Amino acid sequence: MRVDMRTLERLLPPGLILIVGIWVAAISYTQSPAAAFAFPRIIATVFVVLSLAVFIRTVLRPEAEDVTSAAIPTAEWRNFLPGLAIGLIYVYLAAANVGFYTSTAVVVFLLITLYDPAPHNRSATWIRRIVITAGFVAVMYGLFAIILNVFSPREILFR
Amino acid sequence: MTFLAYFGPVFEPVSFLLLLGGTIGGLILGATPGLSPTMTVALLIPFTFHLQPVQGLILLGAAYTSTVAGGAVSAILLKIPGAPANIATTLDGHQMAQSGQGARALQLSFLASLVGGVIGVFLLIFLTPILAEWALSFGPSESFWIAILGVTVIGTLGGGSVLKGLLAGCIGLWLATIGFDDIMGAQRFIFHPSLGGGINIIAALIGLFAIPQVISLLARGRRHRDVDVIRVARHPLMQSVREVLGRSRSVGIGTAVGSIIGLIPGVGGQIAGLVAYDQAKNFSAERDKFGTGHSEGIIAAESANNAMVGPSLVPLLTLSIPGSPTAAVLLGGLIIHGIFPGPDIFRLYPNVVWPFVNSMLVGQLLMCAFGLVIAGFAARIAMVHHSVMAAVVLALAVFGSYSVQHSMNDVYIMMALGVGMYFLERYGFSPAPLVLGLILGPIAEGNFVEGAMIARAQDGILMYFFTGTLNLVLIGIVLASVGYSAWLELRGRRGPEGGV
Amino acid sequence: MKKLLAAALALATVPAVTLADAHGSYPDRPIMLMISYGAGGATDFQARIVTMTAGNEDALGMPIAIINKPGAGGRVGWNWFATQAETDGYTLAAYNIPHFIAQSIKGGVEYSADSFEPIANWGADPAVFVVAADSPFNSMTDVVEWAKANPGKLTFSGAGLFVGHHIAALQLEKASGVQLAYIPNSKGGAGAMKAVIAGEVMGGVNNLSDAFRAREAGTVKILGVFDLERNDFLPDVPTLVEQGFDVDNSSVNFRGIMVPKGTPQGIIDKLSEIVPTMFENGRVQGKMKAGGSPMHIMTREEVQAMWAARQSALAELLAGL
Repeated sequence: MRVDMRTLERLLPPGLILIVGIWVAAISYTQSPAAAFAFPRIIATVFVVLSLAVFIRTVLRPEAEDVTSAAIPTAEWRNFLPGLAIGLIYVYLAAANVGFYTSTAVVVFLLITLYDPAPHNRSATWIRRIVITAGFVAVMYGLFAIILNVFSPREILFR
Repeated sequence: MTFLAYFGPVFEPVSFLLLLGGTIGGLILGATPGLSPTMTVALLIPFTFHLQPVQGLILLGAAYTSTVAGGAVSAILLKIPGAPANIATTLDGHQMAQSGQGARALQLSFLASLVGGVIGVFLLIFLTPILAEWALSFGPSESFWIAILGVTVIGTLGGGSVLKGLLAGCIGLWLATIGFDDIMGAQRFIFHPSLGGGINIIAALIGLFAIPQVISLLARGRRHRDVDVIRVARHPLMQSVREVLGRSRSVGIGTAVGSIIGLIPGVGGQIAGLVAYDQAKNFSAERDKFGTGHSEGIIAAESANNAMVGPSLVPLLTLSIPGSPTAAVLLGGLIIHGIFPGPDIFRLYPNVVWPFVNSMLVGQLLMCAFGLVIAGFAARIAMVHHSVMAAVVLALAVFGSYSVQHSMNDVYIMMALGVGMYFLERYGFSPAPLVLGLILGPIAEGNFVEGAMIARAQDGILMYFFTGTLNLVLIGIVLASVGYSAWLELRGRRGPEGGV
Repeated sequence: MKKLLAAALALATVPAVTLADAHGSYPDRPIMLMISYGAGGATDFQARIVTMTAGNEDALGMPIAIINKPGAGGRVGWNWFATQAETDGYTLAAYNIPHFIAQSIKGGVEYSADSFEPIANWGADPAVFVVAADSPFNSMTDVVEWAKANPGKLTFSGAGLFVGHHIAALQLEKASGVQLAYIPNSKGGAGAMKAVIAGEVMGGVNNLSDAFRAREAGTVKILGVFDLERNDFLPDVPTLVEQGFDVDNSSVNFRGIMVPKGTPQGIIDKLSEIVPTMFENGRVQGKMKAGGSPMHIMTREEVQAMWAARQSALAELLAGL
């Protein structure tokens, strides 16, 4: 029995989905009032059956094309992880606490700086980045705050 | 032909300016992820306080028409449907745009919208009394079967394996049950406090489509843009016109499905595009090309979602029954001016209703014309570097999902669903069936529970859901649709399974 | 542009101004009014009308923007309002009585009448009993007679459970002594009305304002009003009491504006002084009348008394459930 990394990598996604399915079913069949869970029970049953089928197929037919594609190359991870981390901090921490416009400006500037290949040692690069960031935030402010009257969380820098 | 006499008021200076402004503004707002037609129309209501009734309605009607069409712009260029109605447009439209043919995709989409939209309004003009009767015959049991018909579409959407399509749809149906249930008020699956309000469909739509897109862009890393993306081909307009005319079958299927489904109160526009897409695929000689940037897919989806606009107003105008959230807001716009919709509305208020309907015809033309003008420029968005694109899409996703109902919870859910979807997509799932499940869940459940309660007081559930001509016809269509797919599967015309 | 300037000014003076001492200038930016029902519904539509003059100099001087947080009969919006809304006076909400009080008595929500501070009431929309225009029923007596002969089979729709329509249904069942089949609609009042017009159910409880318009359109008949006296919009429709059923006004849908508990008293005082005058504006009254929406303006003190009365009446009615 050779359980190598690739097998684990293949079985992880369908396994996780199956676990979620079983959890949904367990809740649907135990919570009250039963009348409110009648529909979720039907869905949960189908959910478990389908995810079991996908899991079994993954085990039996590992050569199927759409099963092996799950593996993400290390280079790709390295590429998107810093940006994703910025995105998660932006959404779950900064936007509500710092304010939408302030945090958006910082995040847009950071992402452009990290992912745009223009040389860092030229002032033209930095001017372009600042102009793009400022222009975009200004458009957002005009559209959402002035035209649409969207009440975003309090900004720490103004209001 | 009474309506011909009422084109004059549409071209009065103030009315025409409002029509123009409403159309252009609607296109822009519709193209912004998160700003749904309902929200745009609701935002305009206060302006109509200061206008004549006709003018107010012209503004609202123009905005309604063009936000639906505008949603196609972001669906094609960014793979983010502006509203649920545009989901089907992403399937082929974005593929086409990625091969450098964004201009062609946009032209096809606006031209198809024009054809579908105009036919839809003509149905409203000529067939309202018949259609109104028809709309009323969709009770809980019929609406339930329509939702099931939608479910049968799920498996074949997205082009991946049928099994995974169904599983994604099932996950969507489950996500739809999170939160308070609408009838009993019981709490279901609220495993984190931010889920108390349930999963908002627009926020989910943004997350599931936009965030995987952002991550894929970031995965390209710090390098220059791909050379092949720079080739943004300009596309001769006449060629697109000929193409749409040459695809009369897709236009016909899209328009027919869009008008019929758009008519049904409460089910309406959200699934019209997807059902039309699926049917166009079933009847196409080039089935295998769907999902790879095929013009039939764009044409069917966009003719359907604009064909739905006219008929969706039938139950509103003649029975005062708003068939969709947007129609409900329009109803408010009528009532504010003391106009009560009813069977006699065209006779009692000809000076308001006919110019309103006519303005939607003119609005369709303006929408198409302006859309074609911006198509060339908008397609250049493919030339923006991926770092800027990722940052802009991420910020738009945050602003868009927040502004739906001013809720940070929606933003959190949007991001969580989006990151999850990225990994699911790598594993062969696609977001379209998941969103369809999310849309159909409440329709299926609400109508089933309601029907079951009525049935228990009357002749029992079997009698209620399985008798009656319309029920039987719908069950027949469901069985035929499932049977046809299974037959195709067995004959192997769908090609090898998988192929992400 | 004005907002941008204001923002720039605020940026310049940032540390000096805190909210507590800003009542004098309140409000200095637009105000949010949360509606816990969808856009286009009766509550949303009326709220848009009664707040349309807020930006006038003799009113608040700042516009009120409507934000919808619909879901589960209003529970989603009011839960948010009770637990997450800011208490700075820039976050208002519309209340619906008896809905939120009935829901808080039933339980499972995070609010009660004590979570909110009323500002003023703008409307009172009684529940009415409607049947389709071609229905054989012509009075409440007809309806109840049929239900007596066919216990549990009289299907009638309403906007949901533990909302005004449901309260009216419970009262009708209690007063007539027969068993009825109340069918809550998952799409709210509009869906419940459609069920009546399409003949999916035999009758329905609905808002007077919506029923009035449907009757004008010729699609329904209105058989009775669940209120203490007849309504000006429907002088020809008798109340339930007139037809021999002991039903009071517990189900009347009162709509008004409130703020979350914890909002500074100075702001509450200012709002409860100005907001009723907004409701009295001639243009507002005209639009409401044109839309068939009955107005009933009450001050903060009157609303507080009304909330307390409803609380005890509903606790009694719902005790058996």
